[in-house]
Amino acid sequence: MKLQPYIKERAVFLSMNIFLFVLVALFLWLINVQAVVMIIVFVCWFGPLLLSYGLEFLKRKNFYDELLQNFEALDQKYLLPEIIEEPNFLEGQILYDIMKTTDKQMHEHVKKYKDMQAEYRDYIEAWVHEVKTPIASSKLMFENHKNEVTKGIMEELEKIEGYVEQALYYARSSSASKDYIVKEFSLQACISKVLKKNAKAFIHKKIQLQLTEMDEVVYSDEKWIEFILHQIIVNSINYCDNKISLYTRKNEHSLTLHIVDDGIGIDEKDIGRVFDKGFTGENGRQYRRSTGMGLYICKLLADKLHLGVTIQSTKGEGTEVQIIFPKSKVVLLES
Amino acid sequence: MKILIVEDAETLRNELQEFLSNYGYEVEAPDDFQNIMQYAMQEDVHLILLDINLPIYDGYYICREIRKTSEVPIIIVTSRDNEMDELMSINLGADDFIAKPYNTQILLARIENVLKRTYAHQQSSILLYKSLKLDLSNGTISYQHQQEELTKNEIKILHCLMKNKGKIVSRDEMMEYLWSSDLFIDDNTLSVNITRLRKKIEAIGMANPIETRRGLGYILA
Repeated sequence: MKLQPYIKERAVFLSMNIFLFVLVALFLWLINVQAVVMIIVFVCWFGPLLLSYGLEFLKRKNFYDELLQNFEALDQKYLLPEIIEEPNFLEGQILYDIMKTTDKQMHEHVKKYKDMQAEYRDYIEAWVHEVKTPIASSKLMFENHKNEVTKGIMEELEKIEGYVEQALYYARSSSASKDYIVKEFSLQACISKVLKKNAKAFIHKKIQLQLTEMDEVVYSDEKWIEFILHQIIVNSINYCDNKISLYTRKNEHSLTLHIVDDGIGIDEKDIGRVFDKGFTGENGRQYRRSTGMGLYICKLLADKLHLGVTIQSTKGEGTEVQIIFPKSKVVLLES
Repeated sequence: MKILIVEDAETLRNELQEFLSNYGYEVEAPDDFQNIMQYAMQEDVHLILLDINLPIYDGYYICREIRKTSEVPIIIVTSRDNEMDELMSINLGADDFIAKPYNTQILLARIENVLKRTYAHQQSSILLYKSLKLDLSNGTISYQHQQEELTKNEIKILHCLMKNKGKIVSRDEMMEYLWSSDLFIDDNTLSVNITRLRKKIEAIGMANPIETRRGLGYILA
């Protein structure tokens, strides 16, 4: 808070006082009062006035400077009302009360939406679990009555299962709460699970799988990693020519899992956007319908788990996805 | 081996019963959930497939009650796939946990694993076909007095054929079986392995019993 604008704001009152003083001084001079008296009158008049202005200025300057300073320093500006102290002058108190009330109402408002989102999320989770039972029955019906028609239905059913799973993890990823459990698990075992899940597709499309022995353990949420790997491997299956390989590389502070296919690749102009919400790109349009949600959700989950996911591709030669797991146990502590 | 299915969704229960029966298990699937505990105790069951969301008593309660008196293996089958559910199930004494919708081959593999762990001493690890012996414990085949070692892939292939004695096993079925046992081989590798297996069987003096049915698959004949 600067002095100049403060004085400027009080300019009318001050100049009126000066004008009045000049009138009084003129009157005193006309009735031949001594100059000394005029000076005393001036001091008695303007002394307290300026002093009170000065004190008031300091009081406000203290409050507003601190307010501004806190405001600048805050990452989340809306937290300001929580940290300011109640000022001891009237306008400050009004401002303080208003800010407190606004803050409270804002919290209530946000809470309402949070509750709504949690409710919606719970519903989606419950729904997903409901729908899994009929999917399981249908899959068994297929096993019990195998023929060419049911084989086609089975393939569609597996797609449904994939989309249902996507919905579940999207609901989980967008919630504010952290409902993942980071613990130590074997990467190989996790990959095995995903491969088994996709066995039919691998066998049916006669895809050659090159799986290098990996005995590494990683620290993360196993179920989420399973989901991420599933999405990436399904993409590889869809777009590969006839070969998919998986291997790991140890780096100083991390472990990288490489998932490489020899497929159609991704256009250079598309590659930067494959993790965007709803982005399907040329491949999605040309080869199969795609929601563009799979990789987006992967990225969301990976960010929450502090994992790196990168993608490289050469058109016509293939695509490589890398998942980078931090090696230290620090992630265990962070979450 | 007798399996008890505790599942309240009727369609799923019936299909599961049919499916497991097809794979040679004796299956009980009661629809009376009031007396389910007595059912589990009285019947001479070897394994229980237990759902969590059930009418009257939930799966956790049933699991706890059964464990008070019996050590029969229990596999929890549920559509809830939280870590918490899994942890809870294992803590209550369940032997395994499978999330719906399961891959049927994986379900079979898990059932087989649990049964093998529990009844290993009762089950022989030797399979016999005519006088060809497959010993799963040391991974060898023998015929009369000759013996030959098999690789993991070859053991599983022969095992699969022996379990399906007299039935044609399609290449896809065989591959799915291998994949469910962590052997992620491709089409060419399967052909190579079958050729090698045939040679090994011939090497110990038996005429090749693995017949190829064009376009259908393989059969032990």
